[in-house]
Amino acid sequence: MIEVENISKIYPSGRGVVKALSNISFAAPKGSTFAIAGKSGSGKTTLLNCLGGLETPDTGSVNCFGIDIHKLSKKQLTLFQRENLGFVFQFGNLLSFLTIAENIAFPLILNKKEVKRRTAELLEKVGLKDMATAMPFELSGGEMQRVAFARAIAHSPKMLIADEPTANLDTETGNQLVKLMFSQAKEENCTIILSTHDKSLIELADRVVHLLDGKDRNSE
Amino acid sequence: MIFWVKTACLFLIRSRRTSIVLTLMVLSAVSCLIFLSSLAMGVNDSMIRNSVGLFSGHIAGFNIPSTIKKEEFSGNSIVNVLKRRYVKGSIHFKDRVEMISMIGIQPLQEQKTSAFWKKATKGRFLKENTNEIFISESIAKGMGLVCGDTLGFSPGPLSDSDYQPKDFIVTGIYKTGIDQLDRGIAFCDIRAIKSDTPWNAAVFIEDGAKMDRVLQQFNKKNLNHLNFKTWKQLMPDLEQLIALNYFSMSIVIVIVFIIVSLGITSAFSIFILKSIREYGIMKVMGMTTKETVVLLLWEVFLINIIASFLGMILGVIIVLIFQNIGIDLSGYTSHNQYFLVSGVIYPRLTVYSLFLPPLSALFFSFPAAVWPALMVTRKNAVDILRGN
Repeated sequence: MIEVENISKIYPSGRGVVKALSNISFAAPKGSTFAIAGKSGSGKTTLLNCLGGLETPDTGSVNCFGIDIHKLSKKQLTLFQRENLGFVFQFGNLLSFLTIAENIAFPLILNKKEVKRRTAELLEKVGLKDMATAMPFELSGGEMQRVAFARAIAHSPKMLIADEPTANLDTETGNQLVKLMFSQAKEENCTIILSTHDKSLIELADRVVHLLDGKDRNSE
Repeated sequence: MIFWVKTACLFLIRSRRTSIVLTLMVLSAVSCLIFLSSLAMGVNDSMIRNSVGLFSGHIAGFNIPSTIKKEEFSGNSIVNVLKRRYVKGSIHFKDRVEMISMIGIQPLQEQKTSAFWKKATKGRFLKENTNEIFISESIAKGMGLVCGDTLGFSPGPLSDSDYQPKDFIVTGIYKTGIDQLDRGIAFCDIRAIKSDTPWNAAVFIEDGAKMDRVLQQFNKKNLNHLNFKTWKQLMPDLEQLIALNYFSMSIVIVIVFIIVSLGITSAFSIFILKSIREYGIMKVMGMTTKETVVLLLWEVFLINIIASFLGMILGVIIVLIFQNIGIDLSGYTSHNQYFLVSGVIYPRLTVYSLFLPPLSALFFSFPAAVWPALMVTRKNAVDILRGN
């Protein structure tokens, strides 16, 4: 279970302060798919970053599988992220100096898990079996996101955080990717929290939080 | 650890252009410094060769009893032993008399090993088994002697009138540029003076051979009761100059590498900044601060080890080329007393000249990695990915 309680985040800016998140609370059961919807600038990415421990909320807590992640030390948080979380970003963010297979293998090696079999299995699952030795720059946007997804779930994390993974893809490729993500996540009993402004993707999720100017629209 | 080494290798290999630039930077610094320090060795060698080769030899033996033969000094690393006999006396020419040191030598042996005989300004050097004399320019001027004149030589003090002067024909006049050799010295064949007096030895050894080992050989032959002095004892000024040369070269190497490490820091910082996103991604995946530093240090270490190795090969090739052809610096050394015989420098590789530059490169590369490492570890992964 992932429990988010009253998290708020304020950024200083040239025009004063920006309230990126304001008292957001929700809970996502293990293995569920959770969508965070909202327009650009509504606070989706900030919420995901707080969930993944990449940013610290000013108030509130994020409890992942019984651990308040923002109370962990820097090293503990890093090790928690390494073991329990997987991230998919808008632009894939593949390591450009590694091949596709090496990118997928990276979290497996970090977590000291079996590499060869799992990498081959994931390459097959995302339909890129023949491109194991290709470099990221040789891939299309859709292929890149599939590799990013394979890498994110390689070490079987408990939670996958995907920040607008389809934003740079056409609708069809985007839908295929999300369907793949959801089906694989269900198979691996992994909680998916993704942000999107695509209505068709929102409908695929088990639960949705609608953000508007950093606030949960449903709670108003 | 293997994983981080492999990742660092892949990072460097696949960031080809930047890696090549960094490699070239270190490579050229290492090879240049290997050459420079070998050149400094060559300058030292040349100064020693010139100073000891002119006359004195590497080791000088004094007052050796006439019962000891020069053949007893032969051994490993010994090129030649020159036998010389010193006699104080006076030379007489017309109405002029001057006190001199007459040195009896073996002319052919001298021509094989020493170099002072090349310094004839007039006439020629001595021939074997003749009554010829080779005098310094100062004696020639003072006595009004020219080549072909016959002078008389009486050993012992001027007051010793018992001894009938022996005639010598002036065959050559020399000037070495060294005061001790140019004032009141004359040479003749060793057979022309009494043979039952003690003699002096000038021991010439191979370049780079250890004088201590040669002296140990003499000890083993029970020659240790004799009075031997190395060139270091006879020419402390030269020894100091050589020590100064080592010291200045080491300072140059350290300064060059401080400058190179600043260059490497800047280049590496640019290299890291260019690929900082990659580090951000790895941090998001759970790479710890320690692992980030380890990865960066491996990258710096690998690039330096490879560049230093290539620099060593290039440096050795350059040194070997110039070791064969020599570098003629006669134009800059003709008036220098340490280069009286030859101004040609032959760079020489030593453990110092070969390993100090790459070791300095490695030593200074780690501080060079500190700034880029701080840059990456201090930044939040999100800020890196946002491009802040």
